[in-house]
Amino acid sequence: MHAIDDIDYGTPRKVSDTMVTLQVDGSAVTVPAGSSILYAAQAAGRRIPKLCATDSLEAFGSCRLCLVEIQGRRGYPASCTTPVEEGMRVRTQTPRLADLRRGIMELYISDHPLDCLTCPANGHCELQDMAGAVGLREVRYGYDGANHLEVPKDESNPYFTFDPSKCIVCSRCVRACAEVQGTFALTIDGRGFASKVSPGQRESFMDSECVSCGACVQACPTATLMENSVYQMGQPDRAVVTTCAYCGVGCSFKAEVKGDQVVRMVPNKDGHANHGHSCVKGRFAFGYTTHPDRILKPMLRKSIDEPWKEVSWNDAIGYVAGEFKRIQAGHGSDSIGAITSSRCTNEETFLVQKLVRAAFGNNNVDTCARVCHSPTGYGLKTTLGTSAGTQAFDSVEKAGVIVVIGASPTDGHPVFASRMKRRLREGAKLIVVDPRAIDLVRTPPGIEAACHLQLQPGTNVALINSLAHVVVTEGLANEAFALERCEPADYQKWKAFVSQQTYAPEQVEQVTGVPAAQIRQAARLYATGGNAAIYYGLGVTEHSQGSTMVIGMANLAMVTGNLGREGVGVNPLRGQNNVQGACDMGSFPHELSGYRHISDAGVRGLFEKEWNVTLNPEPGLRIPNMFDAALDGSFKAIYIQGEDFAQSDPNTQHVESALRAMECVVVQDLFLNETAKFAHVFLPGSTFLEKDGTFTNAERRIQRVRKVMPPMAGLADWEITMAIANAMGYSMHYDHPSEIMDEIARLTPTLRGVSFEKLDRLGSIQWPCNDNAPEGTPTMHVGQFVRGKGKFTMTEYVATEERTSRKYPLILTTGRILSQYNVGAQTRRTGNVAWHQEDVLEIHAHDAEQRGIADDAKVSVASRAGNVVLTARISDRIQPGVVYTTFHHPVSGTNVITTDNSDWATNCPEYKVTAVEVSPVARHSEWQRQHRDFTARQQALLKERETIEA
Amino acid sequence: MPIESGEAIARIAKALKHKPGALLPILQEIQEQLGHIPSEAVPIVASELNLTRAEVHGVVSFYHDFRSEPPGRHVIRICQAESCQAMGSAVLTAFAKTHLGIDFHETTADAAFSLEPVYCLGNCACSPAMAVGKEVYGRMTPQRFQEVLQEVAGKSE
Amino acid sequence: MDVQRLVKMANDIASFFEAEPDTSKGARGAADHLKNFWDPRMRRQLLSYLDEQGGAGLKSIVLEALRQHRLEIAGQQPPDR
Ligand code: SF4
Ligand code: SF4
Ligand code: SF4
Ligand code: FES
Ligand code: FES
Repeated sequence: MHAIDDIDYGTPRKVSDTMVTLQVDGSAVTVPAGSSILYAAQAAGRRIPKLCATDSLEAFGSCRLCLVEIQGRRGYPASCTTPVEEGMRVRTQTPRLADLRRGIMELYISDHPLDCLTCPANGHCELQDMAGAVGLREVRYGYDGANHLEVPKDESNPYFTFDPSKCIVCSRCVRACAEVQGTFALTIDGRGFASKVSPGQRESFMDSECVSCGACVQACPTATLMENSVYQMGQPDRAVVTTCAYCGVGCSFKAEVKGDQVVRMVPNKDGHANHGHSCVKGRFAFGYTTHPDRILKPMLRKSIDEPWKEVSWNDAIGYVAGEFKRIQAGHGSDSIGAITSSRCTNEETFLVQKLVRAAFGNNNVDTCARVCHSPTGYGLKTTLGTSAGTQAFDSVEKAGVIVVIGASPTDGHPVFASRMKRRLREGAKLIVVDPRAIDLVRTPPGIEAACHLQLQPGTNVALINSLAHVVVTEGLANEAFALERCEPADYQKWKAFVSQQTYAPEQVEQVTGVPAAQIRQAARLYATGGNAAIYYGLGVTEHSQGSTMVIGMANLAMVTGNLGREGVGVNPLRGQNNVQGACDMGSFPHELSGYRHISDAGVRGLFEKEWNVTLNPEPGLRIPNMFDAALDGSFKAIYIQGEDFAQSDPNTQHVESALRAMECVVVQDLFLNETAKFAHVFLPGSTFLEKDGTFTNAERRIQRVRKVMPPMAGLADWEITMAIANAMGYSMHYDHPSEIMDEIARLTPTLRGVSFEKLDRLGSIQWPCNDNAPEGTPTMHVGQFVRGKGKFTMTEYVATEERTSRKYPLILTTGRILSQYNVGAQTRRTGNVAWHQEDVLEIHAHDAEQRGIADDAKVSVASRAGNVVLTARISDRIQPGVVYTTFHHPVSGTNVITTDNSDWATNCPEYKVTAVEVSPVARHSEWQRQHRDFTARQQALLKERETIEA
Repeated sequence: MPIESGEAIARIAKALKHKPGALLPILQEIQEQLGHIPSEAVPIVASELNLTRAEVHGVVSFYHDFRSEPPGRHVIRICQAESCQAMGSAVLTAFAKTHLGIDFHETTADAAFSLEPVYCLGNCACSPAMAVGKEVYGRMTPQRFQEVLQEVAGKSE
Repeated sequence: MDVQRLVKMANDIASFFEAEPDTSKGARGAADHLKNFWDPRMRRQLLSYLDEQGGAGLKSIVLEALRQHRLEIAGQQPPDR
């Protein structure tokens, strides 16, 4: 069912330059040409009864309830399928229409259970509404004929129930699955009276191809498809518009609430990033917010071998401030630092970096983007002038060629993937660059990559140079663009560089394993297939040459002129909900908000005046540097806002010893995560439902997060940071996060025009937003690059030091899957575990056979850094020589085996390439056993904690 | 489903998949060769054509000509078109259904008979008409129906 | 800090700037990178490694960067507070 406060226009809004005026029941209404009469009537405030139509789907015309009379036309056309015409006179209510509609409703109701009073949809059911609207009073057919009332419910999905006895076979669900989600998991089985909705081949939803996006549930006009939470809690009473806190797509939702309890999350039709769609995570997996594992009181302990002790907020904050000051006095002001979280709001990350720079007096602040998209920042800034993707998501609708590099949108960015798939079904060509056959390489119905360049992990740069080589040497370059828009001298130098024989496809084939002909074909397609857009993920950045690869992609886009308009561009698919925002806010040790270097005295001056302090002009430590400095004793204390690097960072054993070496580790989080097991202070954080603020998605879109319930632990994250600053003697005072945004806007030219008031008015804003672009900027680099002229930069391919050897003959690469999110701290605490109970190792049949490994067998995966045990799955998605796993479960300890190699420019870890050997084993690795014992011990210390009254 | 059928299905799908609108010809060919379209055929055809299982299943279940279960040893088709209707095919149909204890598109428990509607057998002169397998019978009555059944059952013994 | 890690990181940076045919430009690029992205304590440690151990294991472009842009790389002392 759609959101409780949505108006349903029946058919989608049309965009047209021509407007059409018609009369509906005597009043004039003007709508874009191509609109349906049903739409026009709703626009005029006239509700025509309807069942099979809804405005998220194209009209279908099957229920005939929406019929109308049109002057000068015979019969009773369906208003949902009849387009408006100039001067048309439509009547929506006449005695004859009423009769016809009542007759239709009678038929529907004769095969419908009459248990409205106990139905979960009661009070918000379109069938009920229609029966009321047409004035149904009796059912002449009786209820005794053949019916479907005995068909059992399908409760296989953890989040929604399918009750076929209530189905009116309007096929809205089938069409939603096809048109909105693009999965085509549903069909109508049979025909006529015998027809019914069938997931897959008449099987349960869980056994079918369903990915649990919820689009069908939203489209269903009855209680046939209904959220379990509505069964349990009843209808919500209000809706709050907010933004999903999972991934960088940034779907807008209506949190439907009863009291201060969320009943369900319904995707917002007016959401600019998602246009009413969602994925299983944002739609359903919010149960973690009230999970009993959440820690709701601050806790302290002197050493990590002691039980925790609950304390008041005052004591906790006082202790943190005292320790930080003591350590600074003893070890120098540079001996402490902080980590901002890409899951928290912009306002909260801004405050943490302000705390570090203004109250700690150093620049030791970093953010989890370090381990994912920091190379994006470096690479795009170097070449184009700013650290952000160039397009809006909508831009993909104008792309002729879509290039996906090192990303699996259907897993990581599902809602954007649905848009992409729709464009591909419309005929856009697809190039996939990935060691693994991601779903998009071939996915029903009908999507098939024109080229899948299945390269060896770690050889991205060689490949991108070779694509550029083909473009340049085959005369496919857009010289006019390159010469006019970019620095000409750099362009000439770069051209000579990529034209070298080393980068000819025939040479690069040796390095990458990709046949030369395929490289040439892909390059030609990219250069000549019309608008070409690159979308990329962590398979680009998490390499020793991550930044180089980002530069390489920007070079390729510049040389073909694929920048500065819709349908083109270079676009990072950001992992976490607010990676973009955390970076924008100045979370990196070397730069202030808006990507301005800390050494710039002018910029520093602005902040010094606003903050009333002197700022340190030198960059501070990055996350991996902090660990190294902790081990050599020069870094002693850390404040970690919602980040779990004991699980998410590479070389876990190194990270763990660094954490153990520190004197005061302060973790602010929802759960006792892996890092918190090494903490001395635990400060209970709040979820996105418990505070106000903003997130910025992968398309630079700033959207509001709105509070639907008070912080369960008493304070929102920004209030905690503020309290620490004040306790350390640096005064911070804000009454509401909007005041923090005002400060950000004052200090940051690209965000100058942003305010909560404007966000409430416009719904969302894509930065830059300032006097030049008061409502924001969907497409970057139009007419001119942010840095003025684009800068072609040479990108020599340097093989990673992580190589296979006789001892470690396979390359391990990592990724993620749809139902789990990152380290899984949230999704593992929801019904989503139904889809992914453990991380498995995908291995090619050939490699498995050589090692005597059967499907589902336990295997040891050993690298130079360590070893873990996983379950093997034989897969043809990868080539022989490559193995693949995800990193959602701590017990897998995937990062025990990743090495500490990193990107040369940003130290972003090289997660994507680790040389390993795989062998069958019977039990868990030493690390996993230790981890299990340690976790048990830490859980015990949590249980034994000294408690206080609330 | 025996492995040979799986292979046959894959072979058929591969051979015909490049035809425009390949799904229907593939399904027809499978039914022709195997007598029906087993549910195991659906994923094979779906993956070959890059369709979802639901899509293929939807098509199989939509057309009455496709059967998901193996047919009985004898397929009885009773004409429902105008001429036969005028001559009482409704009575014949009702009788057949009760006599066999099955509805249209169903098969008797002993797998002997399947019942299907058909629209004109080209035998209008001798309405009402029916066919058993390829054999067409005219001027049918309930009485004749029983006789024909006995006759064919006897033949197959 | 473990100086060998610093050496490796510096050499990784050098690999990128080696693409530049004009080595003094390459050294400039590497020096700027160190100055812009490294915490001063890391830069100073690398300089003392150069002074005390001759910078063994460092790529030539790093050595050139450290020698030619020594003052900038050493950086400003943090303001007293
Ligand atoms: S939940 Fe989504 S994927 Fe599943 S059947 Fe419904 S629309 Fe299709
Ligand atoms: S399940 Fe709902 S949406 Fe689907 S056909 Fe039935 S009533 Fe319509
Ligand atoms: S996880 Fe991403 S795609 Fe899914 S609902 Fe949230 S923002 Fe949208
Ligand atoms: S709403 Fe128009 S036919 Fe169903
Ligand atoms: S109508 Fe029955 S055979 Fe022609």
